[in-house]
Amino acid sequence: MLLNRENSGSRWRIRPDGAGKVTGGLVYLTDMTAQPMLYGLVLRSEHPHARIISIQTERAKQHKGVHAVLTHRDIPGLNAFGIAHPDQPVLCADTVLYVGDALVAVAAESMELAQEALELVEIEYEVLEILEDPEKALLADAPQLHKGGNAMHRTAFARGDVDEAFKQCAIVVEETYYTPRQMHTYMETEGGLFVPGEDGRLTVYSPTQHGFMDRMQLARILAVSLEQIRIVSSPIGGSFGGKDELNVQPYGALLAIQTGRAIKMHNSRQESVRAGLKRHPMRMAMKTGVDAAGRLLAHQVDILSDTGPYSTLGAEVLNFATEHVIGPYKYENLNVKGISVFTNNGMSGEFRGFGGNQAIFALEGQMDRLAERLGMSPWQFRKLNMRQKEDLGPFDQPIAMTEGAERVWTAVEKSRLWQEKTLLEQSAIAVSTDPWLKIGIGAAFTMHGAGLGVGIPDPAGGRLQLAADGKIEAVFGYEEFGQGLLASLEQMLIEQFGFGAADIRMIIGDTDIVPDSGSTTASRATAMMWKSLQRLKKPFTDQLLKEAGAIMGCQAEELQLREGGIGKQTNDQVLLSYADLASKAIFPISSETSFSFPTSPTERVGAHFMYTYSAVVVKVELNTLTGRVKVLQQYHAVAAGPVINPQGYLGQIEGGSSMALGFTLLEDAVMDKGHYMTRNLDTYLIPTIADQLGLVEVEPIEHLPEQDEYGPRGIGEVGSVTLAPAIAAAVRQASGKWVTKLPIEPEFLQETPFFLTGASGNDRT
Amino acid sequence: MTEHSKQAESTFALRCVINGEAQTIETTASARLLTLIRDELELTGTKRSCDIGRCGACMVLMEGEAVNSCLAMAYQCAGKSITTIEGISKGGFDPIQQAFLEEGGFQCGYCTPGMIVSVKGLLDSNPSPSEDEIAEALSGNICRCTGYGGIRRAVTRAIEGRMLAK
Repeated sequence: MLLNRENSGSRWRIRPDGAGKVTGGLVYLTDMTAQPMLYGLVLRSEHPHARIISIQTERAKQHKGVHAVLTHRDIPGLNAFGIAHPDQPVLCADTVLYVGDALVAVAAESMELAQEALELVEIEYEVLEILEDPEKALLADAPQLHKGGNAMHRTAFARGDVDEAFKQCAIVVEETYYTPRQMHTYMETEGGLFVPGEDGRLTVYSPTQHGFMDRMQLARILAVSLEQIRIVSSPIGGSFGGKDELNVQPYGALLAIQTGRAIKMHNSRQESVRAGLKRHPMRMAMKTGVDAAGRLLAHQVDILSDTGPYSTLGAEVLNFATEHVIGPYKYENLNVKGISVFTNNGMSGEFRGFGGNQAIFALEGQMDRLAERLGMSPWQFRKLNMRQKEDLGPFDQPIAMTEGAERVWTAVEKSRLWQEKTLLEQSAIAVSTDPWLKIGIGAAFTMHGAGLGVGIPDPAGGRLQLAADGKIEAVFGYEEFGQGLLASLEQMLIEQFGFGAADIRMIIGDTDIVPDSGSTTASRATAMMWKSLQRLKKPFTDQLLKEAGAIMGCQAEELQLREGGIGKQTNDQVLLSYADLASKAIFPISSETSFSFPTSPTERVGAHFMYTYSAVVVKVELNTLTGRVKVLQQYHAVAAGPVINPQGYLGQIEGGSSMALGFTLLEDAVMDKGHYMTRNLDTYLIPTIADQLGLVEVEPIEHLPEQDEYGPRGIGEVGSVTLAPAIAAAVRQASGKWVTKLPIEPEFLQETPFFLTGASGNDRT
Repeated sequence: MTEHSKQAESTFALRCVINGEAQTIETTASARLLTLIRDELELTGTKRSCDIGRCGACMVLMEGEAVNSCLAMAYQCAGKSITTIEGISKGGFDPIQQAFLEEGGFQCGYCTPGMIVSVKGLLDSNPSPSEDEIAEALSGNICRCTGYGGIRRAVTRAIEGRMLAK
């Protein structure tokens, strides 16, 4: 059944954070101010690669209204940050490695004065050779950007003997795929308010996806204890992975401590483009072979990833890509190698899909090419080779078993859109009266891992408590960046416990209050809240009913939780409100749980245990005169266990697919010699409503095996993964051309008009 | 507005009506309306995102027409009636806001005030726009979260809601 408002009935709910968002009343962290307050700005490198000869700040310091001008000398602790491996300087001391590298931070009484102060800073550079091509960065004579060399991280996974197997193959397809430097383009750029307290503590109001990680990193930079810092991190105007790493926080924090004044920072879009993370551009060379019956015998992959100047999560993204270029298929022989390379380009890092987007575009391209060479239906070809429910995961690791793969496959096979493709192939339906418009339909398939994977601490948990005023407080260390985390939490509390929305108070995003529930990343938060509530349900309910029983003079077993309070199972009345329970209870009522995201029993770092399966069919219209591709219809089948929040689920798949549409047709933060050629949204184009006029249908497949104890799988990322290869397959049908590079260049699909070639308008080949 | 630019340019008293209230703001002729709204009047529902009139997060109504407040200078506002998202919300939820709530026409919410302002500007002048007219009117409002599905459903619902209300 398609997911929409009508089919969801009363489960379709208005979001608890909705009123503030539609009225503009919700105060984002970049809307906050304090009095008195200074404005913080950062001076970034003019050059993508240079040695710093000197930094002169005297004139800037003397400028009126300037309260602090900081350089690397003013950092009390570690002059570096990075979630996995801190190698990015807060303020560069001797070398700059990209145009976003920070050199000086200033605080002044206005944004304009701060800007003027930056212009008064004099920096002398010795410009060095630029590494802009990751392949060239690996050459022996290339300048080494880090002590360990330019090869930041390597991966390998092999089984059998691919060289021998290729000799046995009836068909071998070799292709190299390229993906773009996509920008997150959250609408709220990075920023926040940094407030030093009278007690000597610092409060940081700034978006992040893991408040406790920011606290740890900032404490390390400031050389203070964790307790000295409070991070308030929600609400957030979009993140998509882009705000997980520190951005403005080190500068705001340093300036606040130095001046003793509140500091406001809010990046301009240009600053955000220049300094912020992007999706890793990857080159993926693949060689894949089948026997005459179409069985995959061998798959060889070389991944080259441009990670930019510093590590952040570049290694983890490559691990993910390595797993997902193997993906949902079985091969007797495998040889996958990956390398992530330091360059002087922009910072690459975490981005929704986490390397899966690149991997699946390439892998599914191989499957379509092989099927066509075999003369098989691309969908039957996938069925023949895909992992069955009892099979191991891509790294031969045990995984949480589901029938997701087969069920999304079947959903597509039966879909109206896929059947239309067959009719299109048989020319059984009229396509278009305009000969320059061509129609194509394509499909793709993926399995996408959730959680951080083996070898990375992946804590989870939360707390339920009855507050003094009678509110049921749900306290989690997760963040709301728009995905609907609060709506999902509220819906679970209502549906699983029986509370009413008015009974509930949700508390997130404040390290002084919440437990460390791990990061809000990797499609994990809803699954981890669900699991937390499963674990908390009995102890918390028992406590509430036991205290209520003591007050009401009856057995806890006679009672149950209701909207508004507690009643007897024999009738519908509320006999004791939660407020009365709170005021009369002798003992505090609170339950906390902590556990870890489930992992596979394997040694393989990064291997996943829980997967979401998705399959997408898409119909496109290609205008061969302009080379532009219009996506007319999309059908997404997603197997991710139960739908926790219908509106949120639909929004994640629709929104993710829009991001994938941009990745496929529009977006690339082009760089030339280490400089961004795009600085703002006039030249970096993301989909507008005019690009999204086509119908998007989403079919959730909720089935899980009876013994499954893991509940909902993640849906935050998968919507952004599967569309690109489906569009590429549709473009193949429409144009006869194989796409190897994203975004698809219109020039590549443009054809000389028939009236210039003299060919008949009906001549379709 | 800041001390510095006040000195660099002579000030004038901007008289205009914002959300139905007459305002007099000491500012410079070239001060951006976005800055005046957010910093002087502390109406932070109007958002800053691209500063070049491309994204629509800062959209306000000027004499009923949607304009990017980051591109409107103070002198262009003299004598004008300006409505921000706070103005639209004054008497409770506007039917457009109600439709956005019910259809889930938002996620992170950062583009939402500007989006609702643009929908209001459209529907006040064209109560039953075609799909193409909706796309035209909203193509200056970028939303990164929703993929526009919920927004389109919200606009359709808002059109129906306004028709019924008549």
